[in-house]
Amino acid sequence: MAEREESQNLLDEHEDDSGASRPMAAICDPSRLPHRIVVLVFMCFLGFGSYFCYDNPAALQTQVQQDMKLNTAKFMQLYAWYSWPNVVLCFLGGFMLDRVFGIRLGTVIFSLFVCVGQVIFAAGALFNAFWLMEVGRFVFGIGGESLAVAQNTYAVNWFKGKELNLVFGLQLSMARVGSTVNMNIMGWVYSRMQSLLGTTGPTTLGATLMLASVTCVFSLVCALVLAYLDKRAEKILNKEQGKTAGHQLTQEFENVDVKASRFLSAGEVIKLTDVKDFSLSLWLIFLICVAYYVAIFPFIGLGQVFFIEKFNFSPAEARAVNSIVYIISAPASPILGFLVDKLGKNIIWVLCAVVCTLAAHMMLAFTFLSPWIAMSLLGVSYSLLACALWPMVSFVVPEHQLGTAYGFMQSIQNLGLALISMAAGAILDSRGYLFLEVFFSACICLALIGVIMLYFVDFLGGGELNLSASARAKLQKDATSDSE
Amino acid sequence: MAFTVNTAQLLLLLLHFVSGFIIDGDKYKRQVSLELNPGLNSSITPPPGVSLLHVRAVGANDTLHFLFCSLGAPTLLMVHTNTSSSSVKVDWRRFLSGSPPSSLQVEPESSILYSSALIFTQLWEYDDANNTANPQTLPPSSFLPPYELQNFTWGDLNLTADSARLCGGDGSPSFSNGSFCLEITAFGSGGRDHGWPRLLHNANSSQLRVWLDGVTARSNHSRFSLELQTVGSSDLPSRVEVLRSIDDEYTPSIFQVHQWVASPFNTTSPVLGYTQWKPVAYRIANPSLEEATPCRHSSPVPLPELPPSGLVRAYFGDGYQASGLNVSFGIAGDPFYNTTDYLSWTMLVGLGTPPVDSFSPLVIVIMAVGLGTPLILILLGGVYVCIRKRRTEPLAYEPIN
Repeated sequence: MAEREESQNLLDEHEDDSGASRPMAAICDPSRLPHRIVVLVFMCFLGFGSYFCYDNPAALQTQVQQDMKLNTAKFMQLYAWYSWPNVVLCFLGGFMLDRVFGIRLGTVIFSLFVCVGQVIFAAGALFNAFWLMEVGRFVFGIGGESLAVAQNTYAVNWFKGKELNLVFGLQLSMARVGSTVNMNIMGWVYSRMQSLLGTTGPTTLGATLMLASVTCVFSLVCALVLAYLDKRAEKILNKEQGKTAGHQLTQEFENVDVKASRFLSAGEVIKLTDVKDFSLSLWLIFLICVAYYVAIFPFIGLGQVFFIEKFNFSPAEARAVNSIVYIISAPASPILGFLVDKLGKNIIWVLCAVVCTLAAHMMLAFTFLSPWIAMSLLGVSYSLLACALWPMVSFVVPEHQLGTAYGFMQSIQNLGLALISMAAGAILDSRGYLFLEVFFSACICLALIGVIMLYFVDFLGGGELNLSASARAKLQKDATSDSE
Repeated sequence: MAFTVNTAQLLLLLLHFVSGFIIDGDKYKRQVSLELNPGLNSSITPPPGVSLLHVRAVGANDTLHFLFCSLGAPTLLMVHTNTSSSSVKVDWRRFLSGSPPSSLQVEPESSILYSSALIFTQLWEYDDANNTANPQTLPPSSFLPPYELQNFTWGDLNLTADSARLCGGDGSPSFSNGSFCLEITAFGSGGRDHGWPRLLHNANSSQLRVWLDGVTARSNHSRFSLELQTVGSSDLPSRVEVLRSIDDEYTPSIFQVHQWVASPFNTTSPVLGYTQWKPVAYRIANPSLEEATPCRHSSPVPLPELPPSGLVRAYFGDGYQASGLNVSFGIAGDPFYNTTDYLSWTMLVGLGTPPVDSFSPLVIVIMAVGLGTPLILILLGGVYVCIRKRRTEPLAYEPIN
């Protein structure tokens, strides 16, 4: 899942594309705000299904393990199988969207993948065939990440130069809402299903997951409606389809919290040969990214049972504390993103985030302090890291390589997530939670080493990454005036 | 310079931890020997299924005697003497006769410091139709007739170098393919078992594992609970302490240690003897995390009469107070016994202060390296930057890429 969504994108364009004006109700007129709000609603719900279903296994960990008779290592395969396709698709998703399918067809296709994947996943449970569940997660993974790219592209298409910043924020919040609702409601759905069918077991699990796939069908409907509205807008406004605002986007990356998928969606040319030109700083950023995120997402996947076993939480309370990371990051990401944009000094922020995360993990490992404290800290630092880390890539990579750099970053992140998910399950099975937490802490320590090295490498190289925002703006200005 | 101090301190701390673990890890050692039916001559044949195991653990200037016997309810008796030459005397004729006060003695009697017995009296089976796994709240009608362990027919004690196994059943159809087994393992030094729950033991303890293998459940929703009793030389009230532990490395997902001790409530006087367990049982013979099932205990209550144990009657005689508790296996929603037809639970019986788990060296090393490396990097990086800056001043900005 990783960094599908970032907070904001400050576009300074004031392009006027109100197009042909003809008498039409505001709500039906693609050039007017009320209609765009309608579109926005569908856009937000486009990703709801995939976010809701991504963490289904975490929300139902005990049930899945008990009904399917799985050990934790096998359970975590469900997350690994989601990540595998995205090791490759990070490079291809945006390309296929722009060059092969087009945004409308592409979105429908990816939604279909998500939908079909979730249905296969549920069917695997119904038929008590775990391999089928894994297949389902794989198919779901193919659609899931790429659908996030599509969502961003739609946002750029419709809101470029207008309310884009807000739209990205809303989409992000919607994603968090999906995850949170899932975490807190799936256990209840399962118990309702259990009393309805009068038994636990694969059938109950399958029926519950099948019910969850309704959210994916809902998202698919949103994709179809969006396709229709986009087509209609194209006709009315005589716009060309889907040529995304990539060029303008990349021009504006100064002070912009950018996100890989946005660049990929912008039809950036990906050249894998660019990899050999990557600087040491960029490799360190990759290291931080991988080492950090592998200690977050697999942990959330296993969190619920951890809180029940170690802190004697009730299942409902455990689910709530497990989802606090998502709840916090919904409001925190835009705020922190804004702050980091204004203040600069990205490396210091990344350092803060990594140190706080380390503290949170160590608190969970070595104390009985209420996990609400540690998880809240984790939520804030996770949001802070996202805001400070991802934009750094654009400071160390020439513009034409940005797509490759972001694609590569997401790709190895997914690779790390797949591998560490499997490792985490195996560690838990053989050595328990303390060791697992120590393992995650060690990952964060690795990220910390990366940050410190990045600081010195950057410092010796002139300190570009750690400039304050004003200094950076000045530098940018000088560079521009020099070239003129 | 603050960082140097930190790093040095950290390394020292690490060294201290590691050496502490290796050295403290329980240095006390005993010579352990197992003997079956001590002092039994050929003129007396014990009835089938009755045998007495004597484990003698001789220390530098004390001896621990563990006696394990299947006459009546299975019983483990622990006697601590302050001499390394104490011995067990059994008057076999009277011991087997059924009414045997002081037919088993540890001599010299004056050397006895402490003695206590753990008795397995009953195995309860209940029909948990509502899946609550809480026998204390169930109506009496849910309980199936309990298995009285004193009425079981036991097989021969199966002896290995440091352990003995006793299996038996009550002869009913339920036990036609299954058995209730106890295994006692004696230790001459500190360490851990290979299989979970990997309780930490020392030379002052021995480990008891009980398991129920292949027994046919009498209802579709059967769960079990086991009644334990203790009788001890001290008449202190007994209680179960529940200790939380952050360390679940040796018993994954279990963050508690329960110990049944006899000691005064108010003081911190040392515990004389204990029965310690982790609240977990396993549903398969080869323990794994997904087949672990929590267990619960009732609070110990004083009992009006002594348990039906040959060993208790022969050693203690009348005038002692027994107390008992039930340990029930499983929690609400866990699979019932008949899903695997297996249940295994392990406990440690010992003398003195119960052993306390500590972090493994691996955990300490990982944390020390993980936290130490960034600190060293900051230090080295800082020094390097200082040196470079001094040499190449003024530093010009170089564009990246």
